[in-house]
Amino acid sequence: MSPHGTGPPEIPGRSCKIGRCGADVAQRSASHYPCSQMSLDAGGIATGGGVRFLGQRRSYWRLLIRGAMLLMLTLGIYRFWLATDVRRFLWSNSEIDGEPLEYTGTPLELLLGFLIAIAILIPVYAGIFLAALDLGLLGKISGVAGFAALAILGQYAIFRARRYRLTRTIYRGLRFHQEGSAWAYAFRAVAWWVVTALTIGLAYPFQMASLERYKMRNTYYGDLAGRFEASGLRLLLRGLPMWLLVFAPIVFAIVILVGTVDWLALAQVIAQGGDDVMSKIEGSNPALGAAIVFAMLMSGVSVTMAALLYPAFQAVTLRWWCSGLRFGPIEVRSQLRMRNVYGAYARFVGYALAFSVVMGIGAAIVLGTIGAVANIGKMTTASEIVATVAALIGYVITALGYSTIYRATVLLSLWQLGMESLQLSGLSVLEKVKATGQPSSAIGEGLADALNVGSY
Amino acid sequence: MNAPMASGAGIYFDGVTSARHDVLVVLKPASLHISSRDGHLLGEWPYQELEELSAPANLLRLGRRNSTVLERLEISDPAFAAEIDARAALVDRTGALQRRQRLAVVGWTLGATASLLLVAWFGVPAIADRLTPLLPAAIERKLGDAVDVQIRGMLDSRRSGVPFDCGKATSETAGRAALDKIIRRLETAAALPFALRTDVVRRNEANAIALPGGQVYVFRGLIDKADNADEVAGVIAHEIGHVAHRDGTKAMLQGAGLSFLFGMLLGDFVGGGAVVVTAKVILQSSYTREAEAAADAYGAGLMNKAGGDARALAVILDKIGGATEPGMKILLNHPETKARVAAINKLAAGRASSPFLDPAEWTALKHICGS
Repeated sequence: MSPHGTGPPEIPGRSCKIGRCGADVAQRSASHYPCSQMSLDAGGIATGGGVRFLGQRRSYWRLLIRGAMLLMLTLGIYRFWLATDVRRFLWSNSEIDGEPLEYTGTPLELLLGFLIAIAILIPVYAGIFLAALDLGLLGKISGVAGFAALAILGQYAIFRARRYRLTRTIYRGLRFHQEGSAWAYAFRAVAWWVVTALTIGLAYPFQMASLERYKMRNTYYGDLAGRFEASGLRLLLRGLPMWLLVFAPIVFAIVILVGTVDWLALAQVIAQGGDDVMSKIEGSNPALGAAIVFAMLMSGVSVTMAALLYPAFQAVTLRWWCSGLRFGPIEVRSQLRMRNVYGAYARFVGYALAFSVVMGIGAAIVLGTIGAVANIGKMTTASEIVATVAALIGYVITALGYSTIYRATVLLSLWQLGMESLQLSGLSVLEKVKATGQPSSAIGEGLADALNVGSY
Repeated sequence: MNAPMASGAGIYFDGVTSARHDVLVVLKPASLHISSRDGHLLGEWPYQELEELSAPANLLRLGRRNSTVLERLEISDPAFAAEIDARAALVDRTGALQRRQRLAVVGWTLGATASLLLVAWFGVPAIADRLTPLLPAAIERKLGDAVDVQIRGMLDSRRSGVPFDCGKATSETAGRAALDKIIRRLETAAALPFALRTDVVRRNEANAIALPGGQVYVFRGLIDKADNADEVAGVIAHEIGHVAHRDGTKAMLQGAGLSFLFGMLLGDFVGGGAVVVTAKVILQSSYTREAEAAADAYGAGLMNKAGGDARALAVILDKIGGATEPGMKILLNHPETKARVAAINKLAAGRASSPFLDPAEWTALKHICGS
């Protein structure tokens, strides 16, 4: 079934009595068809549930490339404008039941939020710095305490930033909003992260489920309360094979390492010390070298597995998450296909390789020129500065290039695939939702930005 | 005006409920009228209150400026949208307003960057110079103690059985006495307001460091490389220069200032981290180059005052620095050795000097770390 095989999804909820509807549908379809050709190989994804993504890949590329250039020119200040542009694009091209979402946030709000965040963070950083200078207990725990404080603050920021984004999301003339305590969320999230780390990721599905439940039961569309109904156990069962494939090689290697090494002899040699520790270790433990090589090999297998399985993990998580969303009687189901996510990553790899080749050729030309100049004349301080600046610019272009390609391929595709895979039911409630909620400040966005925990 | 375009179809949301209203929009001279299918007037929006909101490319989405509810009117007919655009000053479908704002952002950030670099180059060292003397000696001492713990942790290789500091064992006390003799003579000449602590430590590099608060560490590698006591005294005099100028504290303030300037205000974009680190390294190298030159001048002056041979400092620097210095000059944390040697020799007093130690004491100092 083609994405448009069921006809424009806005028809069910709409009557056509004043004679504008037919013309409107024809006109909309005409202008949307080019987009549908731009869209991914969405074959098999039904949009009968009333969700479509209309964004053109090319306009998104243009937006991102211009943004990357301005980011470089403005040393990053432009990120507030770029983030707003990106959100406007994604929101306004996501159409639910024939009606596109609207993002009403502005770059100046984000900039203000960032400035407020700096004002909050300066004393925090100064406190951590002073605590580190203390000779007593305070100095000893300052590293851990500072890390914990920043981790909690980071989660706090994530919750507050979500509130900002929700209250700037308008649909059918009504605002979304979020209640609940950001501090309660922050402590809960950090506690969960500790549990997840201690269980080597096995608790992650339950963490996701618990945190999403907290977020969603505090989320409202108008007076319509949200909730989250996906079960952590189900995600665990789906993710467990991947977890085993990633961690089995490492566990196997550790078992082998523990079995072959004579730990007593090793401890003795290390305790003795001296200049030739390495050769002594080799003498006491002939199998150690081979065991270490094996362990490194297995770690390589694990890392490769993790990289290869990451798109599958993302697909499983996204589909599970979408399928758990509820707003009053509205239920969401996702039919996200794993191969589509792999397709997005394949495109990322393709673009990244092409970009690497271009950058390599460019670097060879620049390096050759600098080398030739340095051979002719002497390397002066001025030419050193020129070389340093050239290297820096090259590095920044490379990093920004990869990040732009990632956003234009993987992130856009995840958004589009996620949106297009949705099937909504219970939409008739949309005739009578009432407005509530007020816009919130952008402090959370600013903190998230300053602490590097931001997203979109 | 084209008569048929004076009215058109639209979708209206009243901002109170999520119900969708298919409406007829009529363009009156000063406002547009929104009425429902059965002719009921739903809204009357003056043109100057119209604002365009983010929407897909083929849709004109209008809101009302200063409205307390999120009323929305959506027009999909491009010709009719153009009619409204022509009447409403604030609706700007060409994006010229946005472009102007963006240009202003770019312009002002370029200006801000220039002023930031100027502050980093001139302002940060100037502020650190002014702030450092205001810091009470007790706080500097405390700071020095904290740094001392960290430095010792980094430098001490913990060879089993031997203490990190030299001059503790009975066979080493003669060397310690010789060192103290040098320090006494230099300290008397320097007349610092607080006491110095000088120790020789077991490190093979030919180097010496000064911490905030007056702790000086001379590495045994330096004593191994020195050919007479005046060379060791010259290096200690140079380090006393750092202590007197409070360079350690100054460097910490400078580092904090730069971290704040670059880390906080700029750089949270992909690749920005490298820019920040590079800028910091280059700027801090330039600060320390100045501090080293000043400490050289102080060291030479102190040697003159103590009646020693200032040229000895130049001699040992030449030995340590070697003939070639690899790497980039802008990353060098001290001036080029050739320039340092020349500057010190220029400052050296012409008159005869008396050696810091007699041959026996010098031999003892050579063995301050045993063997």
